[in-house]
Amino acid sequence: MKKKVLCLLLAAAMVFGLAACGGNDGSSEQSSAESSESTPSSTPAESESTPEVNDTWDGAYIDADDYKAYISNDLDQIVTDISEQLTAEEKTAVDAAVASGKEAIAAAGTVVDVQKAYDAAYQAILDCIPTANGMISYSDRDNQERLEMLGVLETYAYRTGTAGLPLFENGVTELFNERVTLGTENYIPGYGFGTLAEGSITADLDYESNAAWKRYYHTLNASDPGTLNYLNDQGSEVSDFYSYIAASYFTNFMNATKDGYDWVPELAMEKPVALNDDDGNGTATKWRFQVRTGKEGLKYTTGSQLESRQAFNNREVALEDYLTPYKLLLTQSNQLFRGSEMANNTTGAIVGVKAFYDGTANGFNQELWDKVGIKAYEEDGKSYLEIEYTQEMTPFYAMYYCNGSLYMPIPQDFLDLVTVQNYLGFNLDATETPVDNSLALGSYYLEAYNQDQEIVYKKNPNYVFADTKYNIEGVHIRIFPAAAEDSEASFNEFLAGHTDVASIPQTRLDEFRNDPRARKTTGDSVFKLNMNALNEEGWEQMFGENGTVTQTPAAEYWEVEPALGNSHFRQGLLLSIDRNTFANARGSIASVNYFSTNYLWDPEEGLSYDNSDVHAKVIAPLTEGTDGAGYSLELARDYFRVALTELEADGAYTPGTADAPTEIKLEVAWMYPQHEENYHNEIKAYLETAFNDASVSGGKYKLNVEFWVGNEWSDVYYNKMMVGQFDLGFGSVTGNSLNPLDFMSVLSSNQELSNSFTLNWGTDTNDANAYPIVYDGQRFSFDALYLAANTQAIVNDGDSKDIFAFNYEPIKKNDDGTYSGAMEITAALPDDTTLTVTDVVCCDYERYNNGDGEYEEESVEFTVEDKGNGVTYVTFTVPAELAATYVNGNGTSEDPQGATGFDFYYDYELAGKASAGNYYSTNDNFVVE
Amino acid sequence: MAKYVAKRIFLAFMTAYIILSLTFIMVKLLPFNRPIGGDAQQIAYFDKQYALGYVYRVDHEQPQYGDYLYKSPTDHGRANYYYQVPVMTQYVNWLKNILTKWDWGYSKTFQPNVSAAVIIGSRIGYSIRLNIFSVIFSVPIGILLGIWAALKKNTMTDHTISTLVMVFISIPSFVLISFVLRVFAYNLGWLPSAWPTESATTLMKVKGYIIPVFCLSFGSICGYCRFTRAELCEVMESDYLLLARTKGLTRRQAIIRHALKNAMVPIFPSILAEFIGILGGSMILEQLYSIPGIGKLFVLALNYKDYDILFVDMAIFTTLGLLAGILLDLSYGFIDPRIRMGAKK
Repeated sequence: MKKKVLCLLLAAAMVFGLAACGGNDGSSEQSSAESSESTPSSTPAESESTPEVNDTWDGAYIDADDYKAYISNDLDQIVTDISEQLTAEEKTAVDAAVASGKEAIAAAGTVVDVQKAYDAAYQAILDCIPTANGMISYSDRDNQERLEMLGVLETYAYRTGTAGLPLFENGVTELFNERVTLGTENYIPGYGFGTLAEGSITADLDYESNAAWKRYYHTLNASDPGTLNYLNDQGSEVSDFYSYIAASYFTNFMNATKDGYDWVPELAMEKPVALNDDDGNGTATKWRFQVRTGKEGLKYTTGSQLESRQAFNNREVALEDYLTPYKLLLTQSNQLFRGSEMANNTTGAIVGVKAFYDGTANGFNQELWDKVGIKAYEEDGKSYLEIEYTQEMTPFYAMYYCNGSLYMPIPQDFLDLVTVQNYLGFNLDATETPVDNSLALGSYYLEAYNQDQEIVYKKNPNYVFADTKYNIEGVHIRIFPAAAEDSEASFNEFLAGHTDVASIPQTRLDEFRNDPRARKTTGDSVFKLNMNALNEEGWEQMFGENGTVTQTPAAEYWEVEPALGNSHFRQGLLLSIDRNTFANARGSIASVNYFSTNYLWDPEEGLSYDNSDVHAKVIAPLTEGTDGAGYSLELARDYFRVALTELEADGAYTPGTADAPTEIKLEVAWMYPQHEENYHNEIKAYLETAFNDASVSGGKYKLNVEFWVGNEWSDVYYNKMMVGQFDLGFGSVTGNSLNPLDFMSVLSSNQELSNSFTLNWGTDTNDANAYPIVYDGQRFSFDALYLAANTQAIVNDGDSKDIFAFNYEPIKKNDDGTYSGAMEITAALPDDTTLTVTDVVCCDYERYNNGDGEYEEESVEFTVEDKGNGVTYVTFTVPAELAATYVNGNGTSEDPQGATGFDFYYDYELAGKASAGNYYSTNDNFVVE
Repeated sequence: MAKYVAKRIFLAFMTAYIILSLTFIMVKLLPFNRPIGGDAQQIAYFDKQYALGYVYRVDHEQPQYGDYLYKSPTDHGRANYYYQVPVMTQYVNWLKNILTKWDWGYSKTFQPNVSAAVIIGSRIGYSIRLNIFSVIFSVPIGILLGIWAALKKNTMTDHTISTLVMVFISIPSFVLISFVLRVFAYNLGWLPSAWPTESATTLMKVKGYIIPVFCLSFGSICGYCRFTRAELCEVMESDYLLLARTKGLTRRQAIIRHALKNAMVPIFPSILAEFIGILGGSMILEQLYSIPGIGKLFVLALNYKDYDILFVDMAIFTTLGLLAGILLDLSYGFIDPRIRMGAKK
């Protein structure tokens, strides 16, 4: 009740404050802050320069009733978050636990007692809901259920700090040259303006001195990607350059009403056909795609003038060319990043690819390839590609998961000619450029690649839709390094008529916002201040000397700021930023969302997740009682007061004095030096204005927000956020906008799940007790529900588990000169699992590393003992003669130590599903005595 | 003379050796950013570093070598670890590779695994051309302005030239280019706003030289002007010039036959030094005008921590600088016969 009254008063204060601002221009930020401060406050604390507290209450910054109201509200929030997923019985029990918890909180006399009462109530809530167990898969659920799961996972992210501190969606206002006719005047999320596919150019670009290129679409790029090899690149820049020449099985074109887009077969000829939809529900694991080949007129194009490459120009695409990219990517010895990513993907995984990848460290293996679920064949004169997924898919996702330009056909003899290392790039002496080392099936082909100067594409006459789409003759991308140094440089180029498009820089927004050439876009990503909400112990566990994520020398440990581990402090930060003013001044879109508008919960209907009710409920704590974009100075300061009260009670901080306040230092890591002026100073002002107000701590604490920038833009990712060396870090990750549920992987602290793209760190995401994640009436950890939603999860007590846990006992010398070791293998689901150990292989890896080319491998004798309850004990013996062959040096290249490993091969059957040829490897650098 | 030249070349070689050695050692002592992920190009790069003797490659972690530089996955979840060889051992190997194989190493990130010497070779032409044009442009203009100012000493013309020289000599080329770009490229549209690409027409390519050459030359013009004016004023007040006039030569004859000739003695050698100065100044300008030369490459190599490229770039700048120093000293002897190089006292 008290809380409601408080909110109403705050809302009134907000209206008063906004009225006082009288506008939404660049100056409103300061006026808004000032007016809020002068507004009559809802709590006694805000009307005084120092907080007023009860005499008997030990909380220094907030009075007892207010504090208890906030803590009780936390319990209510949990109930709100989980109630829809509870059974009636569970709901009754949870309500009772909450009611009891609130009573205990109300009766508590000190801050610590309130916290104890909250903890007890939290545990009682957890106890009301059973944890999930067994092998669980929701991957065949319909879109509505996937939406609910997404909401549940996102709720966890917001409540634990792993959603970061959203700032803005990177939509911009762009100016287009008047000679460009856009496909549509209204930006279509996930598609764009259809500039190249449906647009046209009606006049020459005078500045272009090459007569043949005057009607090309001209743009700028700050740096030269150096290659078009998207197969071996981790970022998105190379992918963008590659996309011009690439084709996929399916593509998108604008719909007839110009307000959305349709899925259209491109290399494929029809939508996928299910081959094993046994239960008739439309889902299947095996799908068939009819594909175009030379018989249907599909031909390669190259712009190379080299005679050896000319042989491939207009060459017909053969059916086996469809298999080549998969073989190229998945052969581990090629060391292609996207291949490794594909092999380790659990979502949309194809049968056998993981085993093939793992078994091809020394090159392609036909035997393993035969077991991969990708087949090509002809039937009745038609060409088909058949793909078998490990999980059942709906028709849309069957199409979606195999639809990528990575899988564009390539002739094997072309690869042999240019070599894998040079494919789509330069050769070592730079005499061959990507023009010579690429073949196009897409809408354009590479016409010129002058390094550090320009990349030019020309319309591909062999493209499937060459007659009806992509009417613009070519694309000219000039490399323009000044754009990275000066945000206005590109815009000046546009205004001078040198290019066809430019974003309006922040400094010129007011001047050009209403220009008739201006078009507004939505963004593909929400930029955030990603957060390191780990406490000291959690940080060391993940990033310490023996960290599970990375290993950091003790001298380089990050000094974790305890305040970020406090949920109320984080909430205070979230509510401190006036996103509307901030984003408006930059031409972008204010956002408190985790995803951008482009992310669709129903990709076939084009329904954005951000517009769903489920998401609205998740972000309600940021949109209700605020300006709608997560800004409320009063609420922010309230949360800071709550946080300081708790942090002091926990002993994390001791208060300073007005003359020597205790400093809470947050370092914000940015990408570019100019971000200090563009973003940091304003963000710093927001956060410090909110926290350092006398009403929060009476000057006993001071928030100091500092600036950091690396040498390269990517340093903020690789040297800060991904390795835990930060408090707050600016950036975003973009992923599958048509499958946001899958993209939640980047929130996992498990690096295998996130593909090492985790930017926000909070609690261990495989802990079902971290924050209640309830679905289907059961409690899960984040990782467990993520896996269950996308593939399948083996769940034990709510947490995700591997099928087997391995415990290796190092090798020891026996009296007879032989050596023995052992391995204990424990099944996560003993009742549903049968294990057969097929081989134990002893390997001498140093031989391989020193140029012999192959491992010294030898099977050794082993025995297997079933110890019951899913535990299998394997003992093995290395003969003395074999052990004696291992070298024993000091471990350097010149003097190898003889790193020995043991591979345990096994087959298993889980819930009736067999899997063969698995292995577990272990190193044992034993010394032969 | 030959002995003097040989001695100077030897000293220049020793100086270059010391500069490059110190550069190599100090750069190699800088903290290393560990690349993330398995990547064919990174693996190929580190294997090359291994072959050149700059890293160890072992199949399990060896903490005694410090933090590993790179970890490349091999088979069954195992990996190769690359560790830095002690810096002085690297240094010895570096010298050995250069002297015996002329192998300066390979690019790490800029153009992965392409020879650093090849990358430099493909770009040095742009920088040299630009700087030669700049010298050709700046020398006559600077000297003529200096002569004009000297001949009009203490007149309004002299004051105007000298004041403008003082003002413009203070403006760095990268500041000037922003102004020139704004006026001539963006507002008037007469000149290209960035270095024309390979595919541009000849006319456009010629126009492309105007802004960078002008901006590079501006400081030099002012320098030559000031230097020439000072030398010429001094000569014109000398006794021998007074004698020449008293012998009946006209002012014009005295200036052309005696004053200018003597004033040029210290000016001509400075042209060589200026060439090197301009080469250094073009680093930032190349970046701003998108010129694919070695000055821009130097900055990129520093940003990318692409040290093998940095060493070759450094070697070129050092060699050119020292070579210019030798030529500068030798040129005194040719221009002024009174100066004898290496003559015994």
